[in-house]
Amino acid sequence: MLRTEEMLLNVGPQHPSTHGVFRLVLKIDGEIIKEAKPVIGYLHRGTEKLAEDLQYTQIIPYTDRMDYVSAMTNNYVLCHAVETMMDIKVPERAEYLRVIAMELGRVASHLVWWGTYLLDLGATSPLLYAFREREMIINLLNELSGARLTFNYMRVGGVKWDAPEGWIEKVAEFIPYMREQLKGYHTLVTGNEIFLNRVKGIGKYTKEEAINFSLSGANLRCTGVKWDLRKNEPYSIYDRFDFDVPVQDGGDAWARYQVRLAEIEESLKILEQACEQFPAEGDILAKVPKIIKAPKGEAFVRIESPRGEIGCYIASDGKKEPYRLKFRRPSFYNLQILPKLLEGESIANLISILGAVDIILGEVDG
Amino acid sequence: MLGLAKGLKYTLKNLTREKPTYEYPHEPLPLPDRFRGIQKFYPEKCIVCNQCANICPTDCIQLTGKKHPDPAKKGKIIDTYDINFEICILCDLCTEVCPTEAIIMTNNFELSEYSRDELFKNLEWLDENDENIRKVNKA
Repeated sequence: MLRTEEMLLNVGPQHPSTHGVFRLVLKIDGEIIKEAKPVIGYLHRGTEKLAEDLQYTQIIPYTDRMDYVSAMTNNYVLCHAVETMMDIKVPERAEYLRVIAMELGRVASHLVWWGTYLLDLGATSPLLYAFREREMIINLLNELSGARLTFNYMRVGGVKWDAPEGWIEKVAEFIPYMREQLKGYHTLVTGNEIFLNRVKGIGKYTKEEAINFSLSGANLRCTGVKWDLRKNEPYSIYDRFDFDVPVQDGGDAWARYQVRLAEIEESLKILEQACEQFPAEGDILAKVPKIIKAPKGEAFVRIESPRGEIGCYIASDGKKEPYRLKFRRPSFYNLQILPKLLEGESIANLISILGAVDIILGEVDG
Repeated sequence: MLGLAKGLKYTLKNLTREKPTYEYPHEPLPLPDRFRGIQKFYPEKCIVCNQCANICPTDCIQLTGKKHPDPAKKGKIIDTYDINFEICILCDLCTEVCPTEAIIMTNNFELSEYSRDELFKNLEWLDENDENIRKVNKA
């Protein structure tokens, strides 16, 4: 009988498969993980503390840097919270621009996940396909907002820029193209036997566990819970669109994969309808005072980001800076289940499980 | 093995597709007009209202003014204007609040330097940065 002994293995923070600066301290016996301890905080910038000295408009560029793969949803959650406090009605054209920008961001975010997840599993080419399409979205958002990642596009009461001439048509043209490419993605990867063996039955958890660990987004919907804030608690103008909430019952990495790819399709549906209904003219910014002062009190709003429920809590004492700002960052909550999932798994499955959770370290560390 | 073969077929089909990569830096990167790059500063337009320095989320703008040399005219003119590009995040808020469009964005984005000191740009440098200036500055 071969004698084995336990060993401590340090994965990260400079490991390419940890999607940033995430560290895992593993206690392993041979190749089997006995215990996993996540170590976070390498990208902590103290956004919430910094915000206490900043005016509301000044905080918007900081939110770009939390979930840097879909910055539009982060912009929105802060603006939405301040608008809720100040009771501002956002003009319709601005709402449509916001929804189009957010859904484009959601597609781009899922594409990044799809590409990098397969890269983790050893497939190099899907990343190139995903980034080719993502580049088109980034270029569209660049034309709209003037930046490729850190958009700083939304303002309290509306958006900074109106759509440039012909931009809506470009988005409308992109939708059928993306649908066609998505079919190609399924041909390339979804039926691949090696890939299926790496994801089926890996990182499995039940509905109750998902709820108890306060998971959200695709991590929750993969267990059969039909919960999407765009549908269940419609914000902005999401109640005007006809779309489904993709759900799977498996609760494993394969179910999460299917949910995310189906979500791209649903986002394209929303985009299509938003482009059709886009108002021909109108304001893009509501009448807001030059210096924004939220009234005394507190507010909490939550919206559906590509990674799950992102929430924003503001406590204000009537000044132009918030007294306290808190973000409920979905990646941080989704990561909680990781030590439980890793127990008893092999090192090779670690990459598959961690990748399927879809974390963004800027958001985990805040 | 069918799924594998299908995937391989798709890969081969894509082999002859047009390349989507850019030839940067051999060719300049095409950027939309709204792109936020390094700021251009017009000293003659500035009225030293300090709004850009106040709105800056990272406090990277330092400016001082002096009295107008013509005693008949009121107000101040700009004396020094520095932007610290070590911490500037090109968020566009300074150009948004400027009442006279004295500071505007350009499409230039190449900021790498050999020394960190060189990232402190002064009034003269920002004045000379006058290529690819953004045409539309306010929505």
